[in-house]
Amino acid sequence: MPIFDQGYQHWSGELAGHTWRWMVITRQGVRIGLKNRFVRILLLVAWVPALMLASVLCIWGLLERNSDLIAPFIGILRSLFGPQSVADPQLYRIDVWTICFHYFLQTETRFSLLLLLVIGPNLISKDLRFNALPLYFSRPVRRIDYCLGKLGIITTFPAMILILPCVIAYLFGLLFSLDITIVQDTFGLLLMSVLYGLVIAISAGMLMLALSSLSRNSRHVGLFWLAILMVGAIMATVLEGVDHQQRIHAYRSAAGNVQSRDAIATAEIEASRTDWRPLVSYTADLSRIGQQLLGANQSWEKLSQWLPPNERDVFLLKLVGPQFPWYWSAAVLLILFGLSACILKIQIKSLDRLK
Amino acid sequence: MHSEDSNQIARSVEVEPIVIFDEVSKWYGNVIGINKLSLRIPAGVTGLLGPNGAGKSTLLQLATGQLFPSQGKVRVLGREVWNNSALNRFIGLCPEQDAFYEWMTGWEFVHTCARLSGLRRSAARDATQHTLNAVGMAKHQNRSVRGYSKGMRQRTKLAQALVHDPQVLFLDEPLTGTDPVARRDLMNIIERLGSEGKSVVVSSHVLHEVESITPNIILLNHGRLVAEGHVRQIRDLIDKHPHHIVLICDDYRRLAAQLIVRDDVEGLAVLAKDKGLMVETHSPDAFYGSLPGLSLAEGLTIREVYSDDDNLEAVFKYLVNK
Amino acid sequence: MLFQLQDVTKTYGSITALDSLSVTAPNGAIGLLGPNGSGKTTMIRTLLGLIPADRGSGEILGMDFRRQHLDIRAVVGFAPEDECLFPRVVGVEFVGYAGELVGMSHKDAFQRAHEVLDYVGLGEARYRAVETYSAGMKQRLKLAAAIVHDPQLLILDEPTNGMDPAGREELLELARDLAHNKGMSLLFSSHLLPDVEAVCEHVIVLGDGKLLTSGNIQQLKQIHTRCFEIRLKASDSKFADRLMALGCSAEARDDRILVHLPEGASPQIFWEVARDQQQQIRFLRPRSSTLEEVFLSAVEPQ
Repeated sequence: MPIFDQGYQHWSGELAGHTWRWMVITRQGVRIGLKNRFVRILLLVAWVPALMLASVLCIWGLLERNSDLIAPFIGILRSLFGPQSVADPQLYRIDVWTICFHYFLQTETRFSLLLLLVIGPNLISKDLRFNALPLYFSRPVRRIDYCLGKLGIITTFPAMILILPCVIAYLFGLLFSLDITIVQDTFGLLLMSVLYGLVIAISAGMLMLALSSLSRNSRHVGLFWLAILMVGAIMATVLEGVDHQQRIHAYRSAAGNVQSRDAIATAEIEASRTDWRPLVSYTADLSRIGQQLLGANQSWEKLSQWLPPNERDVFLLKLVGPQFPWYWSAAVLLILFGLSACILKIQIKSLDRLK
Repeated sequence: MHSEDSNQIARSVEVEPIVIFDEVSKWYGNVIGINKLSLRIPAGVTGLLGPNGAGKSTLLQLATGQLFPSQGKVRVLGREVWNNSALNRFIGLCPEQDAFYEWMTGWEFVHTCARLSGLRRSAARDATQHTLNAVGMAKHQNRSVRGYSKGMRQRTKLAQALVHDPQVLFLDEPLTGTDPVARRDLMNIIERLGSEGKSVVVSSHVLHEVESITPNIILLNHGRLVAEGHVRQIRDLIDKHPHHIVLICDDYRRLAAQLIVRDDVEGLAVLAKDKGLMVETHSPDAFYGSLPGLSLAEGLTIREVYSDDDNLEAVFKYLVNK
Repeated sequence: MLFQLQDVTKTYGSITALDSLSVTAPNGAIGLLGPNGSGKTTMIRTLLGLIPADRGSGEILGMDFRRQHLDIRAVVGFAPEDECLFPRVVGVEFVGYAGELVGMSHKDAFQRAHEVLDYVGLGEARYRAVETYSAGMKQRLKLAAAIVHDPQLLILDEPTNGMDPAGREELLELARDLAHNKGMSLLFSSHLLPDVEAVCEHVIVLGDGKLLTSGNIQQLKQIHTRCFEIRLKASDSKFADRLMALGCSAEARDDRILVHLPEGASPQIFWEVARDQQQQIRFLRPRSSTLEEVFLSAVEPQ
């Protein structure tokens, strides 16, 4: 037949099952997110800390091989990590790597939170504004598929700047030390870093999704997100500051005018073991988990051994974070996760309501 | 001063067509909304039609004094309508958009509009109740507008346009979202207003609704006036498209043989399923005149006669769609 | 049989949306009519398995809507009444995404999206952002998204809202083509009765959550074979008077005359009177009730 029907054609193809339906939503969301110029810039800028991490790891690798290339850096390394670590790099390798990864993840956490601010608010609030939910749910899409799909979008972006650079910097570090035992030592570190990255992505992502489902106005959602982060941080600082002043005042009145810096430092570290105030800040909770997973505190303690005992605590006070039990933070994060899940469940109503 | 103006306006009603556009143009920057429009809208119901972007909303806004014409003059009830708040007492507008004070009840809303139009307190109260009864919203008048369905909102909008008993009414898509019951009630109200001597302009996209209310139309396209008047008169003037007249007859093929030899028959289509013929002719008057003779002389009983395109849809299609 | 509901009840608090509704619908194009608040939207949502009914059972396309929601939605296309869009996509991405959400593979969905966009008449506009579309284009887009997975049943809820006359006619033409020529069943819910009449053969009328009437439109309209509507060139009471003298009953209505022919008389009577009085008959048709009359008499039985 030479002339072909231009009208409606039937289609008899295969329809996929439900297991990967959420991935359709994730793929679409990631594609739209990447169209945003700020997102692309942020993703690029977020590689700078990764480069720095890789550089430090490479330098340490070269140090282990006693290369002459890094002679100018030895002074800096000695002041950062202590002289005995520079003297015996292999022994202190795991600790230095831990600390580097820790700082890297801290920096990237800030970038992730910023990235979430850029792409997060639109995810569900724009669907509400444009009334897209009937389009989703009149197709064979369940509420759980929708939520998982959106969660997939919002964890992909932070994961791109938390997990991927981690892995690549690790590989660089491996290359430059050329020592196969390093894998044994540090593979645990890599796993923990990836796990920490996932915790950040999922926890922050879920929180942002819940906020996004609360309002049709993306700007309000963004402001609310900023409020949670900043107000939390400010309140924590204020509370800690007040507490700190009270403690200093107590020492002064107890010990008179004679006090040594190290006694105070020791007392401070001791006090921070039961200090709940940092819990108020979301970022502090995240970093506490990170510390625990990576074991950053132990590394610092090990590195501080070269100092005389009375100076150790002063050194540590500047570098270690809050010392309260990690499961307090974990509890806070879990509660927030549960709360977010509940909010999502209520807000993503199916169409079962009177029009 | 206001009442004197109003009296003068009321007296001028009988004298001339109620809404006059005198070579009116309106542009927004480079974009032209209305292009040299001259129009005289009489009392009674008139339909305002046109595709999207034809200038219907611009025309309504010019007629209610919301826009100032770039060229030309717009007069309602003999007065220029721009900047003439006294004239608003005699004009009612039912806009397309929903812009209510959502927290008010229906009664409060219409009452407020009545007071804003200048009615005194007791007059406003009576008028409000009367109008709400007329549009069929009396049983919902004490619920807040927030809870109203689309049909109820349309009725309330119409109520606020009617409450001050205006002489001229502009209704922009008054029947969208209404179910057939509400539609019938509202159409009755509009017809009644027209027969009371008021001038009602109904703008709508739904041609069969306009057709059932009034045969007088104004057709706009690209900001210009395409046609104005009675639908059938307009149809008669469209030369390019011959009239389609359908004849149903049991022996339709013999009828066709009779018709094909005539000069005034320019086209003949067979409607086998309906046992009929569709005749194209440029002289419908002569054709209709010959039908009795045809039916009786040859013994061909013509059971049905109607015109396929003597209606608003056909007129719209022929004049607007190229 | 397209779908069947038995004794379905759904209440929202004190409001009963569906009240022991039992209805059967044959395959083909079906109009769904009813005043506001009659339960049309609730019925559609129940059929799609979007809301759980309090009581009752039923099936659609052979599937139980209480249990097989997802399977039903894979073979049903729904174009909702409200304005709804996926944000930040262009037309063809919109339709492709809609198809992927039903389970089509990305390639299938994309190819099919272009095909249906050709069919609904969105040409170059498919490469523009959907937020820039006019009302008519959005309606076509919704239709395209509803048919991208080639459903067996297409549900259209007020599909011609906000469209100008040309667009409305084209959309109704598409609906007619799909229902009559392409073997797709259609459930057409609208307040515009002439639209429903132009597309559907069968109609279901709901009121207050119950079924008021249903049936084939032509049968419901009851064409009266002996009752005719006549319009003359110039209205004149002489015509009606003459007919009455000949034994018919004639009453004037607006610009038309309603005539009842007595038994045994043929329409030739009209032509005889017209010839005698030099009148032109411009309209002569057997009287039939319009769908509006059927609807109003079902909803407001007096």
